Amino acid sequence: MSARNYRPLQMHRIAYTDLTEAQVLQALKPTASGPTSKSAMSTVLSGKKLKIVTDDGGPTLEYHFKSARELELAENGGKPIKANYGAMEDRQLVMVTHMIPGSQRGYELVVDQKSGLATVFEVSFSGYAALETAAAAAANPKREPQFKTGKRNREAQRKIWFGYVDKGADKPTARHTYTNRLEGKGIYWKQDTDVEILEFYLTIIYSNFIELTRFGGEMTVCAPTDYIMVNDHQFIYSRIECEFSGTYTLQLIDLFDMTQKGVRLGLTDKDELEYYMYTGKGEITGQIATFEVFGNNAETRPGPRRVYRPLETFETMTDEQVKDQVLNHAHAFGDGKGSGAAGMGGYKSEQIAQFAGKKLSVRMDNGPKIQYEFVDAGKLKWRYEGDDNWRDAWYEMYEPDDELYFFAHLLDAEFPRSCAMVALDMKNGLSTVVKGTTGTPFRNNETHPTYYFGTFQMDGGPTPPTYLRHGWTDEMVGHCVTWNYQRGNPGLTSMHFYATPSTYSWIIFNPDGSGGMQWSSPGWYSKLRDGVYIMAWVEEACNGTLGVICFNQRIMHDAGFGFHVGRNGLSLNVIGARARHAGKFDVKPYLGLKAT
Amino acid sequence: MTDVKKKSTRRAFFLNGGAVLGAGVAATAGAAGLAPPAAKASGSAEDREAIRQLHLAFVSSNAAAELFEEQLGVYRQTASQLNEEVRLSEDGLRATATFHCEVELCTPLQDDCTAAQMARMQGLMAGRRWETGRFEASYVKTRGQWTMESVSYTRSS
Repeated sequence: MSARNYRPLQMHRIAYTDLTEAQVLQALKPTASGPTSKSAMSTVLSGKKLKIVTDDGGPTLEYHFKSARELELAENGGKPIKANYGAMEDRQLVMVTHMIPGSQRGYELVVDQKSGLATVFEVSFSGYAALETAAAAAANPKREPQFKTGKRNREAQRKIWFGYVDKGADKPTARHTYTNRLEGKGIYWKQDTDVEILEFYLTIIYSNFIELTRFGGEMTVCAPTDYIMVNDHQFIYSRIECEFSGTYTLQLIDLFDMTQKGVRLGLTDKDELEYYMYTGKGEITGQIATFEVFGNNAETRPGPRRVYRPLETFETMTDEQVKDQVLNHAHAFGDGKGSGAAGMGGYKSEQIAQFAGKKLSVRMDNGPKIQYEFVDAGKLKWRYEGDDNWRDAWYEMYEPDDELYFFAHLLDAEFPRSCAMVALDMKNGLSTVVKGTTGTPFRNNETHPTYYFGTFQMDGGPTPPTYLRHGWTDEMVGHCVTWNYQRGNPGLTSMHFYATPSTYSWIIFNPDGSGGMQWSSPGWYSKLRDGVYIMAWVEEACNGTLGVICFNQRIMHDAGFGFHVGRNGLSLNVIGARARHAGKFDVKPYLGLKAT
Repeated sequence: MTDVKKKSTRRAFFLNGGAVLGAGVAATAGAAGLAPPAAKASGSAEDREAIRQLHLAFVSSNAAAELFEEQLGVYRQTASQLNEEVRLSEDGLRATATFHCEVELCTPLQDDCTAAQMARMQGLMAGRRWETGRFEASYVKTRGQWTMESVSYTRSS
């Protein structure tokens, strides 16, 4: 395993500088020299002239490659400009990258020297504000443009043009096309820069990646991505790290020999320019199921590629605002009226009432010790051991596995505010408590979990073991599971990808069943029994919700709870969904570390 | 043969003052209206076509969605379109029409969780279903232009 450079902040927590256009222009100046590369670049274009014609109002580009590094370009018949470029080859494909000196834009080309087809990526910076302003004006109803995290001038924008090399005759009519043929695939890449990265092509407009060397491999993050098919084994992958550094990545992926040729263009979290080409060698980590109907090869996509922008769209509340919500507008399970079947609880199981009239104590190792009296099916009394005062609370309890019970309730009305989600294993007396609490060092209206492992005692209950406990696990790592939360067609459905022992991502499907937008968050995994796990996640830098599910792989169902604070108050609700196993990526060997 | 249930499903949408449905619609209808009458006022093929075009413009407009409790997804005409009727008054200045169709009706995702927000951005619905029905509308011709006066939708069982 290579060296891991753990970072004090993961990408979603880094406050990337809101650079001005002038600052971006200045930072991009070195791109005039062309990209660097550790591997030898191609000389195949040296001395050649290429005229690339593109469709749909795209540019006509007339290139004269003066040498292996210098070119002249005339755009749309305009005056030629000089630039330095880099090129790499994969079989018959040649990839070219250059910027236009003195500007914030440039081109990446993929030219098929055999078929004459070409795909042009026009990449630019300082374009987000104009796009957002136009999108706001076009919205129905109209809205104000949002620049909560700045104008994002550092974020690359791309336009993609399909076309061909004009040789004067026999113009090809075929084109490279958008595709879903990479969907569901995972690849580990080791690049000539010693960068190691796990990439997962789980949707047709987004991808996951885990930066093993640059960020230590703790988190997976997601970025909008274009997938373009050259043929059955060669693909073009284009990604922009929106919401983060804004870095642009273009790769040729060759599935025959599992190689990649790429270019990376952008500004790091230290605002330093990265503009280099690279090669890489890959290993397939897995191929999961896809959910389009047979015959749908997604050669056309459902409209423009969308970008999910949680950092931009979710509100950050003040201390006082959150304090008011958690103290004065807190509701658990509809205040005893029941959670209903809305939201993520459409398939909640039968509510358990058999603890009514019973008493028990949960005792966490190095954690809370709580006594309970269950008044009825929805109301309980609780107190910490040693306290005199009993508190009333609404609760709901479910049975995700045989004689394994999971219930939740709010804790004291204080700020920050917490809830307890408690698992009781009647077969061995073990208990796990996930305590959810509002607030993180980054946002008041986020939540965070604290896990405790221990035992419980009740009259007629099992004698708990002395040393054995539920514990952390990596058994779920690599698995992908769809979750159908509501009845209907398609209803509310997502797919979870349990990427590492400390993170997961979720995928929302397009109407045609293909994967669409996705996002990620930290995640925690514990094992209660064989095939039965508690998984928790917090939608950090997003809506801040803590979700905790007890997932039974044998019945492919869960029972869980969501804990959220926002403008509409603090809520504790049920989660209940039906699952399908979508497949698994064998990523553990690349992650190295195991949960302990 | 359709079994019409009017009471529970019928909602009427009345256009304010016979409002023009949009520039494109006005142009289409207006062009027909301004053209010299090729036939007698009653039963003119151009009038019928102008009304049909008005109807097509209406069903593709946001206003059509107001007729439905659920969200209108897609509209398509069916084989029963052959039975569409456009009835002109004797003076050729008023008309009523019946257009048969199929509509895709959608139930939006109502929830506020992140997954639902993302799903809505991608056009996902809690549910989708097709039903057959018919539009019944009345029209008036003023200064050579047809405008829609009222329209209702009735679901077939």
